[in-house]
Amino acid sequence: MTWLSQDRRNANLAQKAQALPANDGHAEQALAFDPDLVFVGPFADPASVALLKRVGAPVVEVDPAQTLDGVRREIRRVAAALGEPQRGEALIADIDARLARVASAPRQPPVSAIVLQPNGFTVGPGSLVDDVLTRAGLDNLAARRFDIAADSQVPLEVVASLAPEVLILDRSQERVPSLAEAELDHPAIAALERQTTVVSLPSRLWTCGGPEIVEAVERLAAAAKAARARGARP
Amino acid sequence: MSARPAGAEVAYGPLLAALAALTLGAALVSLAVGYARLDLFAALADAFAGRPTVAAVVLEQIRLPRAALGATVGFSLGLAGAALQGLLRNPLADPGVIGVSGGAAFGAVVVFYSGLAGLIALAMPLGGVAGAVLAALALYALAGRGAGTMTLILAGVTINAFAGALTALALNLSPNPYAAYEIMFWLMGSLADRSLPQLWLALPLSLVGWALLLASAPALDALSLGEDTAASLGFDLGRLRARLVAGVALCVGAAVAVTGAISFVGLVAPHLLRPLVGHRPGRLLLVSGFGGAIVLLVADIVVRLIPLHPELRLGVATALIGAPLLYGLIDRMWGEA
Repeated sequence: MTWLSQDRRNANLAQKAQALPANDGHAEQALAFDPDLVFVGPFADPASVALLKRVGAPVVEVDPAQTLDGVRREIRRVAAALGEPQRGEALIADIDARLARVASAPRQPPVSAIVLQPNGFTVGPGSLVDDVLTRAGLDNLAARRFDIAADSQVPLEVVASLAPEVLILDRSQERVPSLAEAELDHPAIAALERQTTVVSLPSRLWTCGGPEIVEAVERLAAAAKAARARGARP
Repeated sequence: MSARPAGAEVAYGPLLAALAALTLGAALVSLAVGYARLDLFAALADAFAGRPTVAAVVLEQIRLPRAALGATVGFSLGLAGAALQGLLRNPLADPGVIGVSGGAAFGAVVVFYSGLAGLIALAMPLGGVAGAVLAALALYALAGRGAGTMTLILAGVTINAFAGALTALALNLSPNPYAAYEIMFWLMGSLADRSLPQLWLALPLSLVGWALLLASAPALDALSLGEDTAASLGFDLGRLRARLVAGVALCVGAAVAVTGAISFVGLVAPHLLRPLVGHRPGRLLLVSGFGGAIVLLVADIVVRLIPLHPELRLGVATALIGAPLLYGLIDRMWGEA
């Protein structure tokens, strides 16, 4: 486990991870455990990964999924590497059942939405977050508007002027003071709540494509439902 | 310094009125400029009628604080620059160049990232003020009492470097994952997406600072004739120094706490306006305040009009104008020496 897994703000299983020894992502630390398997992500130091392979350590490279199909694929790969394929399939079946429940709910009319991340970044098409929005019945404005560059910083007044029906604030759960997150507390966002359904979503749910992603879909589908009810009222 | 080029001086009252009008005009243009298309008149109508439309929210919560903070912070920086130049009798004294802004940024950073600002809102500008006081005292200990330009600049460089290192250190020690990005805000400054509560935080302390500095005008005029002359005219120099340091720290500290350190405004504004007030440091104060407000508002309009994404940091824009000016000033002073 890396030290990042023990950070409760961003890791889903941090509490369990804190009971285990952590490393800083260096090959020699990993080898000191004499591991049966080493999982490495795409941001691991290539030199460390090369070293692990050279000394013959069993390395499994995990890709962060860009779609929900990718989430299933990675779960299968990890489960197979661990020799527990049936547990992987059970997890996938659970995710699929929950996704099907969301998909079977009424999805009309479409609800416009935009994601605001710390530092005013938004999320464009072709990303896992965009896939989550689509499955929740939301229409990602950042994917449709040609004047917003994908995954770029968007000035707050542009976010406000787009008048999305749902505004998704992507924030970490246990907060430390930062200007980046202070942006999400700007009074203009509170003032928009008269027109817009504002929903906060902990970023750990959907930053990496793990099984928690389905919870993100469910929460956003609920927000979409609320926005639809609001739109139908007047 | 006392040479007064004839013909450049203009009448003080009309000059003030013109600068005030220009400040107001720049603030109105700042309201009209932005990233989203905004029907300003419809937004104004909605805002005055209390209709919480999107246009009204953008105008009231985003554009208005940006323009008002631009004017307030610019006024503080211009006024503080003129006051420091009068006190140190040196035209190169700018709160950014000599490290006062850097000290304020460090003070604000400590208060913000320790979480204190989350408990008491006013702690944030007060942290900036405390940092500015420390930097100003350190500077005065090294370069006060008519020290040479070289000493002043070197002292400023040292204080700036030290404050910048402390700011980076404080951010390094904070558990904030965005720290590296936020160092840029504190060292370069920005007015992007500021809010009304931040304006209400900065304004009261700034007003007290302005009052202290503007009340020092007669003493600064006397000081330009030499310390002995000023003392013989009945001015208590110890009290004057304390009042000026307090005034500069209050308005610069409060400004930096909400916008980060923006350099060179306090250098550019007094430099451009000095000939127009006949090189009188007392009269230079108020006009430099308005001058600073105009400079900062215009710079902030320009950074929004340049099609750069994300927008150019305000401190970068002012440094691009101010640093060559500083270079030229130093060059000229060497030529005269």
